[in-house]
Amino acid sequence: MAAELRLMIPTQSVEPDDRELVRTIRQGDAEAFEQLVRRKTGKVYALCYRIIGNSEDAKDIAQLVFIKLWENLEKYDPQYAFDTWLYRMVTNVAIDFMRSRQSRENAVNSNLRLVKTSEEAEQGVVVQRKEVEAVFREVSNVLSPKQKAIFVMREMEDIPSCDIAKILGCRESTVRNHLFNARKLMQEQLRKRYPEYARLWRDR
Amino acid sequence: MIACQEFRAAFAPATEDPGVLEHLRACDDCLDYAAHRDPEVMFRALGGPEMVPPGGLEAFVDDVMRQVQVRSTENEMDLRPHLRLRRRFAVAAALVLTIAGSTLFLSRERPVPGAAPVPVVSRAVRPFALPVSLTTKPAVETYQAAEATIVEVPQDGDDVKVVMIFDESLPADL
Repeated sequence: MAAELRLMIPTQSVEPDDRELVRTIRQGDAEAFEQLVRRKTGKVYALCYRIIGNSEDAKDIAQLVFIKLWENLEKYDPQYAFDTWLYRMVTNVAIDFMRSRQSRENAVNSNLRLVKTSEEAEQGVVVQRKEVEAVFREVSNVLSPKQKAIFVMREMEDIPSCDIAKILGCRESTVRNHLFNARKLMQEQLRKRYPEYARLWRDR
Repeated sequence: MIACQEFRAAFAPATEDPGVLEHLRACDDCLDYAAHRDPEVMFRALGGPEMVPPGGLEAFVDDVMRQVQVRSTENEMDLRPHLRLRRRFAVAAALVLTIAGSTLFLSRERPVPGAAPVPVVSRAVRPFALPVSLTTKPAVETYQAAEATIVEVPQDGDDVKVVMIFDESLPADL
């Protein structure tokens, strides 16, 4: 009877945590690595996409991150949070990519600017997510790759400043400075390119 | 997710409330409402849940695993030339040692056990000054020099005799 009861209880498969998975991967288990990739893809791709702003590039960068992860897994120290280590890798790869892309694009796009008429600006704006996405893509171009990465992690990924400091290997005050400057630069850009959005700050 | 009324009641500038942020990221009406009260919140609406890469999760994971496999194979291939090079180096070193050893061994005067003793005319042996030609028989037959070493190589028959002369005073084209 006891055996029958046991059979009726659904067995709960307890998934190994990140550190356990890493330990298994280090022993040469490729399936464990696949499990880790599956688990982290959503987060890694989202961060890449928000920093880079282009889905195809973000996909390539996310894949590169996982390949680097596979190659450098021996260097991971389990006394630190795995996500911090992973996010450090993501930001490093994404920032490198942004730097190389910026140097290519700066020459082409430096003179392009979308400016709304003052009449349009006075009409006010209905803030919608799709629009905000396009606005962000435009105005965040003025940020340095590092500023953008910090802004994305703080504002969009909701990562506290102290954790961002750990990810980037810098002081928390540095993170706050970058954040402050990023907000200031973006407001300036909003005033230049999207005065209807800049009015939101003026009207407060 | 919380309702719009609840959101508007709970919303405050610089909010960190996960429930409020979740609603902000899903509802355009409330985003507009919030942005007019705290414009800083505008870009926070772009954050939120995890995202699926183009082509889907499965295709992404397959791509990654394939690339990892390719890299692993490449790394193995990269290691092989080193191994091959090492092996070649070891073989070359062994050959050099063998040649040097045998040269040293042969250069010494060592009687072969069981063979007839080599008649040594003079003791001043200079093994590295080997003559280019040994065919000038008349010169050999009448040859006499105090500093030279003349070695007669033992032969099976009596009709041919091989003689080696080591003498630095002789001209090279003798």
